[in-house]
Amino acid sequence: MRCFIERVVTNHDVTTDIKALIPDAGLRRRMSRVIKSAVSTAMETLGGVEGIASLDGIITATGWGCLADSERFLRNVIVDKEQLLNPTPFIQSTFNTVGGQIALLGHNHCYNVTYVNRSHSFEDALLDAMMRAEDGDSEHMLLGAFDEETPSQHRIMERMGAFRKVECGEGAMFAIVGAKRNERSIAEVTTLAFPTESLTRERVAELYATSEHARVIYNGYAEHGLFPTASALCFAEAVKLVADGTPEVVIYNEYFGATPTVIVVRCLA
Amino acid sequence: MEQLIQELKEHLIEELNLEEITPADIDAEAPLFGEGLGLDSIDALEIILILEKYYGVKLANSAEAKPVFYSVKTLAEYISANRK
Amino acid sequence: MGIVVTGVGVVSALGVGVERNLASLREGASGISAHPTLLKTSHHLPVGELALSNEELHELLGISPREHLSRTALLGILAVREALKGIDMSNPARVGLVSSTSVGGMDLTEHFFEEFIENEGAGRLRDVRMHDCAASTDAIAHYCGIKGYTTTLSTACSSAANAVITGAKLLKHNIVDIVVVGGSDALSAFTLNGFKSLMILDENPCRPFDEMRAGLNLGEGAGYIVLQREEEATNYICRLGGYANRNDAHHQTASSAEGNGAYMAMADAIAMAGIEPSAVDYINAHGTGTPNNDASESAAFVRLFGESVPPFSSTKGYTGHTLAAAGGIEAVFSVLAIKHSYRYANHNFSEPIVAYNLKPVTQFEEGAEVKCVLSNSFGFGGNCSSILFTR
Repeated sequence: MRCFIERVVTNHDVTTDIKALIPDAGLRRRMSRVIKSAVSTAMETLGGVEGIASLDGIITATGWGCLADSERFLRNVIVDKEQLLNPTPFIQSTFNTVGGQIALLGHNHCYNVTYVNRSHSFEDALLDAMMRAEDGDSEHMLLGAFDEETPSQHRIMERMGAFRKVECGEGAMFAIVGAKRNERSIAEVTTLAFPTESLTRERVAELYATSEHARVIYNGYAEHGLFPTASALCFAEAVKLVADGTPEVVIYNEYFGATPTVIVVRCLA
Repeated sequence: MEQLIQELKEHLIEELNLEEITPADIDAEAPLFGEGLGLDSIDALEIILILEKYYGVKLANSAEAKPVFYSVKTLAEYISANRK
Repeated sequence: MGIVVTGVGVVSALGVGVERNLASLREGASGISAHPTLLKTSHHLPVGELALSNEELHELLGISPREHLSRTALLGILAVREALKGIDMSNPARVGLVSSTSVGGMDLTEHFFEEFIENEGAGRLRDVRMHDCAASTDAIAHYCGIKGYTTTLSTACSSAANAVITGAKLLKHNIVDIVVVGGSDALSAFTLNGFKSLMILDENPCRPFDEMRAGLNLGEGAGYIVLQREEEATNYICRLGGYANRNDAHHQTASSAEGNGAYMAMADAIAMAGIEPSAVDYINAHGTGTPNNDASESAAFVRLFGESVPPFSSTKGYTGHTLAAAGGIEAVFSVLAIKHSYRYANHNFSEPIVAYNLKPVTQFEEGAEVKCVLSNSFGFGGNCSSILFTR
C-alpha cells in the first residue's frame, strides 16, 4: 500500500487572510478557534474553497475534537441549570465538524470521515487514505489532523501530570494525497506500520529505512508539544524534507504509553 | 420602539457573533433571513433565546415564528406586544 | 472478495442481548420511558434509557466497580462480548476493533465538571480519565480480548455505519482477519440538552415518518457486528453486500429537502452490491422522528425507488436515537432481519407524511423472505452512510 502526496500545509504555514480562505461569513462567525485554524489550514492546502470540488475523499483526525465548544456547552448546561441554552457550541462540538464544514463550503458530496483515536488518530486516517488509494476509489483526497489546547484541558492534564516532560501543544496539518503520481506529486508514503513493541532509533532505521541517507524523526512529536495528533506535524516536516532533497524520512512516534507508529516518506523515483 | 430596535440590534450582533456589523448597518425593516443579514435556522434558535432571555417572551412554534422573524422591526413589535 | 457477518451483539433500552431486544420488537413493546431515571437532569423528556446503573453494569460484566469505566465503555463491552460469543479468535489471531462514539466518557466528565468549574483543583480525576472517544475503545478491546488493530471514529449519528465501512476495508486489505465493528453511546446531560437546545426533541414518544411527528427521543446503547472474509468463515449469518459514505453538504445540522446525501449513499451501496434497487426487501431507515430528517429521507426513498419503495421502518420508536450507536444497533437488527426473515414495526405511526404518502411497516412481520436489507445512518456534518446486507 502506498499513496502520493501533492502538498502539505500546517497551521503555521497559513498566510492568506481567513476571510479569503473561508468566504462564507455565516459559517465563519460560528467557528471556534480550532475550527477556524483547521478549516483555514485546509483551504490554504487546497488553494481556496474552489479546490474542494475536485476532492474525492475528506479524511480528518483529531484526538480531542472541538474541545472549547464542548466545554462551553457543558459549562452552560451546568451554570444555566439546563435552561435557555445556545445550541451553537453543541452543534460545533462534534468531532466531524471540521470535515463537515469543508464539505459544506465546497458543496462536496464525497466520502467524509473522522478518526478520533488518541495518538493514532492521524495514522488511522492515513491508513484509510492509503486503503482508498489502493482500492482505486480516490485520486485526490484531503487528509488532515487538528487538536486544540484550552485552559481547562490544560489544567486537568497538568493535574494528571501529563506535562512533566513535554509542554502542552496544539496544531493543524492538511495534505492532499492520492493513488497516482501526477505532475504535482512531491513525495510518497511507502510504509505505515503499527509495531507492537517499543523500538530504539537504531532499530527503527534498521527495520524501515531503505536508503543510507534516510533520516529518522524519532519521537519528533515532542517538539510540537503534547497533543494527540502532533505526529501529523512530523509528517508535514518529513514531506518537506523529502521535497527538499532528503531521499527518505522514517517517522517514529511513541506517545505516552501508546503502541508506536511508523510512517516512511520517500522521494519520487 | 426606537430604543427597543436599537437594543435588539445590539443583542443580535453580540449573540449571533455578526462580524464587522454595527447597529447602524442593520436596516430594521430588511429581511433577517435569506437575503439581508443572511441568517439561517440556527440563528432562528438563537433569536428565540434572545426573546426569552432578555424580554421574557416565549415563541412556541415555527408557524407562529415566521412572520415575527421577518425583520428587526417585526421582532420589536412582537416583543412590545407580548413582554411582561 | 466477500465480507460476511459472523456475530452480533446489542444493548439498548429494550434490554441486554439479542434475545431480549428481538422479544421486545416482536411484542411491540417500546423501551422509551416518560423520563430518565438514572440520568441526572431536570428535563422531563422521554428517553430510551437502559434500566441498569453503572454499578450494576460493572457487576453484570464481572468488572470491579473500582475500575470506574464510563457508561459508553460498559455498554460497548456488553455488546462486543455477545458479538464475539462463538467466534474462534485463536486462529487466525488478528482480531481488530473499529468502534465509534459521539460523547465518549461524557457521563463521567459531567460529574467532574460540576466541581471543576467551582474550583479548578476539585473534581476526581478518575472521572475525566475516560473522557476521550478512544478510551471506550481501549476498554472494550481490553475486556473482550481483542489484541489486533483497533481504531475509533466519530461522525455524529452515522458513526457506527462508518465503523462497518472501515472494518470491511481492513479485511479487504488483509490488516485483520476478524473485525468487530459498531458503536456505543451513553445518555448524557450534554446530548440531552444539546438536542433540546436545537428544539428537535419530542416531548412525547417519537413518531417517525408520521405526518404529526415532532422530533426525536434520545436513547443509549451499543451495537456491534463481527465481520470476516467469506473464504475464512466456517459459517455466517449474511453478507455485507455494499456500503457507501456520502455527504449531504447542505447544512451543519439539517438535511437537504431533496435528500441528496441519503439518496447518493443508498444508491452507491446498492450499486456496489451489484443489485437493482428493486431487490431491496426491507430498509431499516434512519427515521429519527424529526420533521426535517424524515421528510428528507422520504424524498430520497422516492427518488431512488420511485413508485415501489420497499417495506421500511424506523426502529427508533423502540430504542430512541442512540446517536453513534444507532448504526450499530440497527446493523444488528438488519442482520437479524435477514437471519429470521423479519421486518420490524415502526412504532407510533398513524398518518403518512402528506407530501410523500409513504407508509412504513406497522406490524412486526415474519415469514415472508427477507434477503436484502438496507440500513441508513445520517448525521450532523452532512454525514450520510448506508450499508447493505444480503443473504
